[in-house]
Amino acid sequence: MSTHDEGSDTWVGKAVLRKEDQRLLRGFGTYVDDVPEPRGTLHLSMLRSPYAHARVLSVDTSEAESLDGVVAVVTGADVADLIPPFAADYERPGFKISHRPALATDTVRFVGDGVALVLAENAYVAEDAIGLIYVEYVPLPAVADVEEALQPDAPRIHEDLEDNILLTGGNKTDGFDAVFQSADHVFRERFRINRVAGVAMEPRGCLAIYDKAEDAVTLWTGTQVPHMLRVGIARYLGWSESQVRVVAPDVGGGFGPKMYLYPEELLAVALARQYRSPVKWIEDRLEDFLTTYHARDHVYDVEVAFNDDGTVQAVNVDVLVNSGAYSNYPMGVGLEPFQGPLNMPGPYRFRQFAFTCKGIATNTCSTGAFRGVSAPCVTMAMEGMMDRMARHLGLDRVEIRRRNIIHSDEFPYLNVNNQRYDTGSYVECLDRALEMVDYEGYLAAQTPERIIDGKYRGIGIAVVTELTGQGAARYKARNLSDLPGFDGAHLAIEPNGQVIASTSFSSQGQGHETVFAQVIADELGVSVDDITVRGGDTQNSPFGTGTFASRGAVLGGGAVIRASGDLREKIKKFAAHLLEASPDDIVLEGGHAHVQGVREMRVSFYEIARAAYGLTDSMQLPEGEDFGLEALATYDPPASSIANACHIACVAVDAATGIVEVERYIVVHDCGRVINPLLVESQVQGGVAQGLGQALFEEVLYDAEGQLLSATLMDYMVPTACDVPTLEFEHIESPSSDTLGGFKGAGEGGVIGSLPAIACAVGDALVPVGANINRLPLRPDTVLSLIEGADG
Amino acid sequence: MSTARREVRVTVNGRAYSRSVEPRMLLADFVRHECGLTGTHVGCAHGVCGACTVVLDGVSARSCLTFAIQADGKEITTVEGLAEGDSLNALQQAFHENHALQCGYCTPGFLMSLTEFLRETPDPDEAQIRERLSGNLCRCTGYANIVRAVQAAAQRLREEGRT
Repeated sequence: MSTHDEGSDTWVGKAVLRKEDQRLLRGFGTYVDDVPEPRGTLHLSMLRSPYAHARVLSVDTSEAESLDGVVAVVTGADVADLIPPFAADYERPGFKISHRPALATDTVRFVGDGVALVLAENAYVAEDAIGLIYVEYVPLPAVADVEEALQPDAPRIHEDLEDNILLTGGNKTDGFDAVFQSADHVFRERFRINRVAGVAMEPRGCLAIYDKAEDAVTLWTGTQVPHMLRVGIARYLGWSESQVRVVAPDVGGGFGPKMYLYPEELLAVALARQYRSPVKWIEDRLEDFLTTYHARDHVYDVEVAFNDDGTVQAVNVDVLVNSGAYSNYPMGVGLEPFQGPLNMPGPYRFRQFAFTCKGIATNTCSTGAFRGVSAPCVTMAMEGMMDRMARHLGLDRVEIRRRNIIHSDEFPYLNVNNQRYDTGSYVECLDRALEMVDYEGYLAAQTPERIIDGKYRGIGIAVVTELTGQGAARYKARNLSDLPGFDGAHLAIEPNGQVIASTSFSSQGQGHETVFAQVIADELGVSVDDITVRGGDTQNSPFGTGTFASRGAVLGGGAVIRASGDLREKIKKFAAHLLEASPDDIVLEGGHAHVQGVREMRVSFYEIARAAYGLTDSMQLPEGEDFGLEALATYDPPASSIANACHIACVAVDAATGIVEVERYIVVHDCGRVINPLLVESQVQGGVAQGLGQALFEEVLYDAEGQLLSATLMDYMVPTACDVPTLEFEHIESPSSDTLGGFKGAGEGGVIGSLPAIACAVGDALVPVGANINRLPLRPDTVLSLIEGADG
Repeated sequence: MSTARREVRVTVNGRAYSRSVEPRMLLADFVRHECGLTGTHVGCAHGVCGACTVVLDGVSARSCLTFAIQADGKEITTVEGLAEGDSLNALQQAFHENHALQCGYCTPGFLMSLTEFLRETPDPDEAQIRERLSGNLCRCTGYANIVRAVQAAAQRLREEGRT
């Protein structure tokens, strides 16, 4: 049963316990590998390149083919016609098109690039056969580092392109140069942000089931974007969308990397049709580290021009992104390079801004979206600059932020990028977080040496914005043809009076079944217990964009509000007919419709549904009304909605070991009108954990030849329960004035705030040794070298 | 390698299973594909993440690092064996009430590891809980609510005199 306080008037805003927990806690969830395999399922295993860059001269499949249980061994040449090389970008200024074959035909471009595959009767035999395929490679010079890949003599990743620069962009506001040059001070810094991996606990995988009668394929896959995958598969295979159904069942974590179309999905679909058999592929963790798109690996050259009073006058940033070997569908190569400058102003009101950005191909796994995209990186850069400026000017670090952030009487505010901030609480979040941490007390106890009990202690403050709920206008401004931007919801009252909703989203743990039910419950006057929310299946849910970039609450919330509104009018007409009243006088409440002011004149949703579906002994159809109780709606918000927060980290840095411990972590968070405070807090806690991992130990490492050095969970460290403190957390609510329901997204702010808060805290702790924090991660060896005086 | 099949007889959640399997078959695959109990998940297949944890003769074990034939003659409990009839058990209920799961993929492994832990450590402090949890990885929750859930479950079990 759900908790719903007696006497409270709305479901939205309540800490409703999750509906999805019952099946997940009993082991009854259905993740891709749990979907029952049809008889005759072929298990697909991939042979992956051990070289970062090589010519493939020959592939000998004969021994593998002769192994008992092997049905087929497939090479790049075998599928070249079935799956033409796919390009994720379109011809437009600044972009070069990289093509990716589903399996390499003549060249491999990163360690893990697919060379051949086996289809076998079980997964063990499929892996055995992989070891029996013999490939003749000619290694080519490889480059993994983004700056080396920019050099004129660097190996070219795509020989049909003139260099490795897949994307160049930039912009400068009118009058920038004059303002920049006339400022009292200019600080420059180069920030290097580590490459990380999403490490969803469920690796990628898919099951493609061919329907001979329909000549169509159903693809079960752990994706964040079922509808986009369907469009992409149809596009690249040259099929009609009606031949592809994509179903995302329970998905074991997404975080960004699962919002892309991967070669294995195209291969499984195409081969299921070719072999007229179900085809299943489940990756292991090694494959996940090798091939599931990485993220970050950015270099930011930042210049901040500011005056003696600490006010920022102009900011210039040059962004370099290591894009990896290929561009990815559907976001393309522009995502990370452009998201940096887009998010750079954050909460600050400077009026002059210039940027350049580049996306560079290297012989590494592609990079793409991971929680926050570039926002955590640029927020770390800006907050790091704020701390430097404060120290230089002898200002308190809070005071310099106060002089630059947008104050509440300035909303709605249009920032230097013409990004609209409808509402927010930058000062309020900052003030409350300072109170919670007792900032004055902390400073009073802090000595210039910073060291107590062998540990340097410091505090870091980050004022954070989170760009959420992007709609069609944003994607079309970026010319992203395969991202529609809107989302959809379908609502129906079943003949038993209960509500079934389906949305265009798939869920990776966000709690859609609960939060969308809360919104609908308020709109229709029913209990969340009488609402079932589904999604993730292109056949049974309305078309839409999907689950990423903190879109669910805004787009999904808006879509169910719109569908509820249409359904409500229809319910009222049936109720009015049954009660012989006017629809305008009908009130929906507690699973009933009653006449305004006369509660005893009422009919239940059950009775209304029986009438609407013609399940009554006499005709109960209102004049002019159709049978049935359904509504379909889409929602496209008028603008992105900007959530905000203040994060404060208190760290202890062990002077002997260099180990950083986060001792306290405070967040005051504002995502507009909160649907479910329990779930929002947990989203932030989880985001902070991921940011803490990136700040302190996570790093995908390649050597100079492009060999992956961090390919297991023993080499790639994700935070454990011993690393992550429990947040001290409060909500502030500044409802959005631009979105239906007043909601703003909340999925990414935790990461966006924790990189700067932790980096600034370590910077504060190490002030006495003059350390300069300009790269991540802050692993013990790095921290020790900072303490020992190797200036950053 | 020898692929000669061997007989494996186990009891899983109180039900007997007898299957003929290759010696190299992992216990995780046996439980999932031979017994059809797909609540046990494989997250890394190299013994780090703990998602595949089951209880083997009362002791927690990584089923991705255990061969099915090693479990021959033993009693196995998986996540499907925890609920008491239609009701979640105290630990599962505490996970629900404290929102200690998001995507739910790692959750069965946590529940099985903690089943053993709470039997051995009925009154744990937070440091002991975190130390134990560090053998399982969760990428969604940031662990705070899992810690709260373990504290709540331990208290409930003590009050009910079940530990």
